[in-house]
Amino acid sequence: MVDATTTAPNKAETRTKQTSFRVRVLVYQIGLLVGILGFWEAGIRLGYLEAYIYGVPSGVASAFASQLLDGSLLRHFWVTGQEVVIGFLIGSLLGTISGLLLWLSPLWARVLHPYMIALNGVPKIALAPLIIVWFGLGMESKIAIAAIITFIVAFLQAHKGTQQIDSDLIRLLQSLGAKPLQIFRIVVVPGSLPWIVSALRLNVGFALIGAVVGEYISAEEGLGHKVYYSGQLYDLNSVWVGIFSLMIMALMLEVVVSWIEKKLQW
Amino acid sequence: MTPQDDIVLRASGARVVYNEDTAHPVEAVRSISLDLRRSEVLALVGPSGCGKTTLFNAIAGLLPLQGGRVEVGGQQVDKATGHVGYMLQKDLLLPWRTVIDNVTLGLEIRGMRGAQARAIASDLIRRYGLSGFENSKPAALSGGMRQRVALMRTLAFNPDVILLDEPFSALDFQTRILLQADVTRIIKEQNKSVILITHDIGEAISMADRIVVLTNRPATVKSVHTVSFRNASTDAVNIRTHPEYQAMFAKIWSELEIIDEAKGSENKVA
Repeated sequence: MVDATTTAPNKAETRTKQTSFRVRVLVYQIGLLVGILGFWEAGIRLGYLEAYIYGVPSGVASAFASQLLDGSLLRHFWVTGQEVVIGFLIGSLLGTISGLLLWLSPLWARVLHPYMIALNGVPKIALAPLIIVWFGLGMESKIAIAAIITFIVAFLQAHKGTQQIDSDLIRLLQSLGAKPLQIFRIVVVPGSLPWIVSALRLNVGFALIGAVVGEYISAEEGLGHKVYYSGQLYDLNSVWVGIFSLMIMALMLEVVVSWIEKKLQW
Repeated sequence: MTPQDDIVLRASGARVVYNEDTAHPVEAVRSISLDLRRSEVLALVGPSGCGKTTLFNAIAGLLPLQGGRVEVGGQQVDKATGHVGYMLQKDLLLPWRTVIDNVTLGLEIRGMRGAQARAIASDLIRRYGLSGFENSKPAALSGGMRQRVALMRTLAFNPDVILLDEPFSALDFQTRILLQADVTRIIKEQNKSVILITHDIGEAISMADRIVVLTNRPATVKSVHTVSFRNASTDAVNIRTHPEYQAMFAKIWSELEIIDEAKGSENKVA
């Protein structure tokens, strides 16, 4: 009885404390955003900052509204979104499958080892101009850039995952008479999941970089094109509209990947 | 007293050499001959690194022999086929699988899946005191419980011969003593023949019918002791108070060629 009376209020107290902590975090987050935008806007209006170099929040907001209403923003968003998602899916899927399958051939794992180290070290975006040459100026080349970069990351991570599996576990399955394909299915694939999932998370960022940089180099549509083109015209408000749109896209993809992560994680 | 057909495992002159074809071959097991009788627990005791686990791998068919032969159930072992159960110090449970799905692992590898495999597994789980944990993940279990699940995984596909490679050494003292008693009871009940590797002499005396003492690497059989003073009323705890326990402990201890690692020794393999 004594316990019940003393612990019950404590629990409620803890919960209230947690809630008030969360509320405080949220208030500070909003405050920070409003503060930054406020200083920025004030700096422009009072003449400390030049609008044509920095843009101005009120101008960004009206550019955002008008480009949303005339459909051009959604068009760019849709193009880049497709490039990112399709590239991400192709690259991550094929990369993961190849990286896992490499476990079945110790010979090829050994053969490919130095190449993997080289690929891992190179800034993968440096491949972009080549891929544009190979795949042309349309959406395909941006999908290809995103796909190739995410392939490399997924491949390396999945392979690394297979290498981390406890060799005693494999010995145990062998002692039970398991064939290599059974070991692959029962232990290697599920055991590599944490590495595969972390590759997916990394690849959201890499697919975005791939598509946007591809659009910088050469494109007629897409948020990367929009940012680059507006920058050339010193239309800084439109540059910000593009950047904020990319942030929104990244957040949306993040939500999806977190959901997948929950489903896959053991 | 032991007819031929009562021998479930026989090693004759088994020899294992690593890197045989290279300039630096390492002889791990020189020559081991031993018989394991039906329903017997045979303990292998030897200095650390003497080649006990190597011998186990050879018996399980995971390593080729460079001499002699190993027969299990009258069949010569030449590859891993699941002819023996194998249990290690690590429980090696798959963390993403539930308890019951870990227990059915060996059955699944033999192609038995679904309701039939689960029935065998849940019967074992119920019988050996893990009811209610069927659908728990291993992370939710204590070390002792996890080793128990590993034992059930070994029992589920019903091998006649079970190899235990220091299965209790990662457990705390109390859990270890209790689990020794439990495992001894379970393997007697299931009529299994067991080879137990241990460096704990007390564990060997309290669990085994016979104890084989091995030499330093390359391993050979140094001596064999029969634990004759155990009966139905002795268990892993009270056997330690038996007058003959101390004498046997001291005898085996004196036979072990224990290398003091701090001082080093010329006995080490070059």
